[in-house]
Amino acid sequence: MTDLKKLYEAVVNGDAKAAHAITQQALAEGVDPLVLVNQHMIPAMDEVGRRFEASEYFVPELLIAARAMKSALDLIRPLLVARGDKPVGRVAIGTVKGDLHDIGKNLVASLLEGGGFEVIDLGVNVPPEKFIETVREKQANIVAMSALLTTTMPAMKTTIDALKQAGVRNQVKVLVGGAPITEKYAEEIGADGYSENAVGAVALAKKVVAA
Amino acid sequence: MNSRERVLAHLEGRPVDRLPLMPITMMFACAQIGARYRDYCCDYRVLAEGQIQTAGSFGFDYVNTMSDPAREAADCGARVEYFDSQPVALVEDDALLADKKRLATLKIPDPLGGGRMHNGIKAVALLKERVGREKIVEGWVEGPIAEGADLRGINTLMTDFFDDPAFVRDLFDFVVELELRFAREQVRAGADVIGVGDAAASLVGPQVYAEFVWPAEKRLVAGIQEMGAKVRLHICGNTRRILNGMGRLGCEIVDLDSLAPLAEARREMGPNQVLLGNLNPVTVLRNGTPEQVTGAVAQCHQDAGSRFIVGAGCEVPRDTPPENLRALCAYAHQHKP
Ligand code: B12
Repeated sequence: MTDLKKLYEAVVNGDAKAAHAITQQALAEGVDPLVLVNQHMIPAMDEVGRRFEASEYFVPELLIAARAMKSALDLIRPLLVARGDKPVGRVAIGTVKGDLHDIGKNLVASLLEGGGFEVIDLGVNVPPEKFIETVREKQANIVAMSALLTTTMPAMKTTIDALKQAGVRNQVKVLVGGAPITEKYAEEIGADGYSENAVGAVALAKKVVAA
Repeated sequence: MNSRERVLAHLEGRPVDRLPLMPITMMFACAQIGARYRDYCCDYRVLAEGQIQTAGSFGFDYVNTMSDPAREAADCGARVEYFDSQPVALVEDDALLADKKRLATLKIPDPLGGGRMHNGIKAVALLKERVGREKIVEGWVEGPIAEGADLRGINTLMTDFFDDPAFVRDLFDFVVELELRFAREQVRAGADVIGVGDAAASLVGPQVYAEFVWPAEKRLVAGIQEMGAKVRLHICGNTRRILNGMGRLGCEIVDLDSLAPLAEARREMGPNQVLLGNLNPVTVLRNGTPEQVTGAVAQCHQDAGSRFIVGAGCEVPRDTPPENLRALCAYAHQHKP
């Protein structure tokens, strides 16, 4: 039997090759893919998040850990789809119009995938119309926006207003984040949730889709 | 003593009449003259006008040519995007060195070849001509990790540290050479100080910083000092874990962002390092009251001690209330180090 603790370690250490190999072996041995995700990979990303908060890890370590997780997910996702497991939700994510800072957004996107969400990454500098189009055409049920500039924060409100105008606001939950965003600001602009980090973003997304 | 004499004397540890004042303004300076930010980035005459007007009306001791991070990368052939009211930006999806092999054939562009670097050099020359006797003229170059990120894509560079250390070293060698050439022409055009902006350094931890970034920064700083200019290091963001290394670079000025406490920097860098900063540009300078600004800058002064220059933690935001910036300036105008 594969030692699944090694999967946890591979993700924490950002070793994509090992994460892939261990996952492959475990799946061949008949381990349930969801066990791999929920009992090993998600706890690993929680630990990575903890180390980041404690200044033991920095952005490069976060990015390689997320990449290791993705390399395992690449094997797992097709299996879940094949057996008819539905994604927890479908997220349209992007940085708001005018904002090009995407490191945080990319991390949130990776972790949401790890958490069982289907993620449609719209990239950077995403205008409200693009979010609306994705909600309409791809049936996204979460819109997740990231902003790192005080000058682009207002684009979050503009986007929420545009979702209302387009008549799709009540089909989606809106999540916001990024360094200058606060709980209070999220409330003011009528978002459904805010988290200050990527690990929290997954818990938040799960909470809002369950609500 | 005029502004230029004041700053130079302070850097050399000689007595001065009051605290020097060197906040970073870019979009704010552009708004002061009602120009489009696109023009501020692309036309050295607009930049010089914005700097001279702003420095004049607020009583800054210097003028500065920084506008956006993309001057050097654009001249190297990287794809950049221009906006009417935002800084020129790199198109990261289409990074110049998306394919690492391209580095081997990449040539350092001539800073005087009529490109965006040339425009920055002309800005230095014009500022020198118009206010250079009275004020410090500060040029600007990107630091190794910032420029490396501009050429390679910041998300990719972050993983290169683990995947391909040799590539990162080659990339930083290229960048240091590029920045030294750019700096040399700015010094020739009259820059007294060269600002080195290495924003992305705050994203890496102490090990990556010590192994890759510091040695490249050190070569860049030493090279600029050999040209006879002084160096102002500016790293945006939280640099608490790398303060000690930043202090050992030997820069004349270390300019700190609001996330890096001045008291900590003072402990890490010793009593002689001149520190600049570090009011929170958004919560205090832009959103606060003049009284709050005065209180915050007094605290900075206390934490930094006498080897201190007044400024914000990063760029003064475009829509900062002028009375708040005036409160910052008044503190410098009214206090001795
Ligand atoms: C890297 C960087 C850049 C790079 C960005 C490259 C890229 N591809 O991302 C470049 C060089 C392009 C850049 C440009 C600029 N930048 Co910049 N940049 C930074 C820097 C150094 C790091 C940001 C970062 O990646 N942090 C790391 C990530 C992991 O953190 P994060 O994004 O906050 O994400 C976490 C959480 O917020 C949360 N989260 C994020 N998104 C979401 C979304 C949801 C839904 C949820 C739930 C959670 C969530 O989870 C993430 C993981 O835990 C910061 C300073 C700093 N060190 O913070 C300045 C900073 C953000 N930049 C700043 C500025 C001013 C600019 C420029 C205007 C500068 C200029 N004059 O050229 C331009 C603007 C470009 C543009 N139009 O966007 C300022 C912003 C000030 C302000 N408050 O307005 C900062 C704070 C620097 C400073 N002190 O002034 N920048």
